[in-house]
Amino acid sequence: MRAIVRIGALGINTFREAVRNRVLYSLLLFAVGLMLSALVLGKLSLHEEGRITRDVGLGGISLFGVLIAIFVGVNLVYKELDKKTVFSLASKPIHRYELILGKFVGMVLTLAVQIAIMAVVLVAVLAVQHLPVDAGLYRAIVLCFLESMVVASIAILFSSFSSPFLSGAFTLGLFFVGRSLPELREVMNKLELGTGGVVLKSVLYVVPDLRLFYVSGSLIDGRWVSIHGDFIAWSYVAGTLVYAVGYAAVALTLASIFFSRRDFV
Amino acid sequence: MSEIVVRADKLGKTFRLGLFKKRVEAVHDVSFEVERGEILGLLGPNGAGKTTTIKMLMGLIFPSRGRAEIFGRPVPTIESKRDLGFLPESPYFYDYLTGAELLDLMGQLCGLDRSTRRRRAGELLERVGLGPAKDRPLRKYSKGMLQRIGLAQALLNDPKLVVLDEPMSGLDPIGRKEVRDLILELRTEGRTILFSTHILSDVELLCDRVAIIAQGRLRESGALDRILSPLLLHTEIVLEGDAGKELVELDPSADVNERLRLALAEGKRIVSVTPRKESLEDLFVRELGGSVERAS
Repeated sequence: MRAIVRIGALGINTFREAVRNRVLYSLLLFAVGLMLSALVLGKLSLHEEGRITRDVGLGGISLFGVLIAIFVGVNLVYKELDKKTVFSLASKPIHRYELILGKFVGMVLTLAVQIAIMAVVLVAVLAVQHLPVDAGLYRAIVLCFLESMVVASIAILFSSFSSPFLSGAFTLGLFFVGRSLPELREVMNKLELGTGGVVLKSVLYVVPDLRLFYVSGSLIDGRWVSIHGDFIAWSYVAGTLVYAVGYAAVALTLASIFFSRRDFV
Repeated sequence: MSEIVVRADKLGKTFRLGLFKKRVEAVHDVSFEVERGEILGLLGPNGAGKTTTIKMLMGLIFPSRGRAEIFGRPVPTIESKRDLGFLPESPYFYDYLTGAELLDLMGQLCGLDRSTRRRRAGELLERVGLGPAKDRPLRKYSKGMLQRIGLAQALLNDPKLVVLDEPMSGLDPIGRKEVRDLILELRTEGRTILFSTHILSDVELLCDRVAIIAQGRLRESGALDRILSPLLLHTEIVLEGDAGKELVELDPSADVNERLRLALAEGKRIVSVTPRKESLEDLFVRELGGSVERAS
């Protein structure tokens, strides 16, 4: 119970750090600007305002959610070591894994607030255009949030043992592979690569399947889903929630193991 | 029988640095004990291994060899850190927090409830003279103020053991005196204090016992009056004549009375006669072979 209180305190502090970080405001403003640009783009289209606004809006939320997760995630642990603030924290009666979990909780809180702000702007833009807002839009936004949560856990994992630059590069690389996983698996199945192929296939099973969170235009349970038409149900979102929590739990366990073995020189 | 609060038993640390994992022996088999209620000074030049030794005790660095205990609890464990307050060298804190916010965060990590946190934070901010600056962001604190907020966070959980890594480092003379006074107050309150320094005068003014570390090895430890040689080194006589003041150093075997009689006969005035025994500086030079200049 006490560990939860300590993790909560560290999480709120991480959130406070993000709130007081001006770079994040710039990213958020850029995202909001992108969504507002849908107003203009919609006018330029031929009666496709709804499609344009939804695509640009959800694309913006997804892109900036992931960017914020990487930008903040790779710096969280590194800054603690680089600025030596970890000396005072780790000498308190806490476990090192609590530091990692606290950072992640703060990160998730930050992402939730940032994505909520972007979602409010998107809904407002749709309202200005007198376009309907349906539950599918909210489901898509929740999927964006879950995806950014998984990416944040990966960023924290890499930052527990490497520099922000490398952590950022690794996380971005995994993000692109994770988003292209169905295609990569298909290619792997078609190629005959022998033992190397088996190894590569195994590696692909370790990579997070981020396409689970980016479903519009995909074939799900035998039907094509689209944010502009027949979209996934809440039960699908619940399934991806379990996947995201499970993947983040594994990543954070590994991060905690690496972090617990580090010397704070 | 006195209670051992800190026990370091043959602690050693080897770092592996660079691409080829070159071995660097930072600390070699350092053993010492700190008894309840005393102030032990860990003395040594810069780079001697003091901070590495302290970090091993705080659980920040894992020893390559040996073991340590705090209040009989093995290091590093949560239990070993329960009654402990630590001030790192040149402390760094989240600069976006205010002094009051930092103490509240640290209080939560120490497991203090909200009312205890507020009461202790208020008391400590006043005690270290930061009451008026408590709502100011730490990025606007001076070095001395950061040192004082660092002391406040170290004392938040009312620790029985306080470990201070170079607490006077970078402070002006007034700041150093304030920290020295605070350390003495902490001892009066019955706390045990372990602190590292490379400043000899701080050790002489504060410590009951001293452990001298150089090049990662413990050279000497014990009460100051025990480790300093009781033998007379020389006698310093300051004389004043027509040509001004003159310093005369006499060997222990020389006849001081005869020299004084001679000076008076020459019409000189005797300003002072000082028998010089070994000082901490002499001991430091003896043990470290001249590195004292670099250290202080």
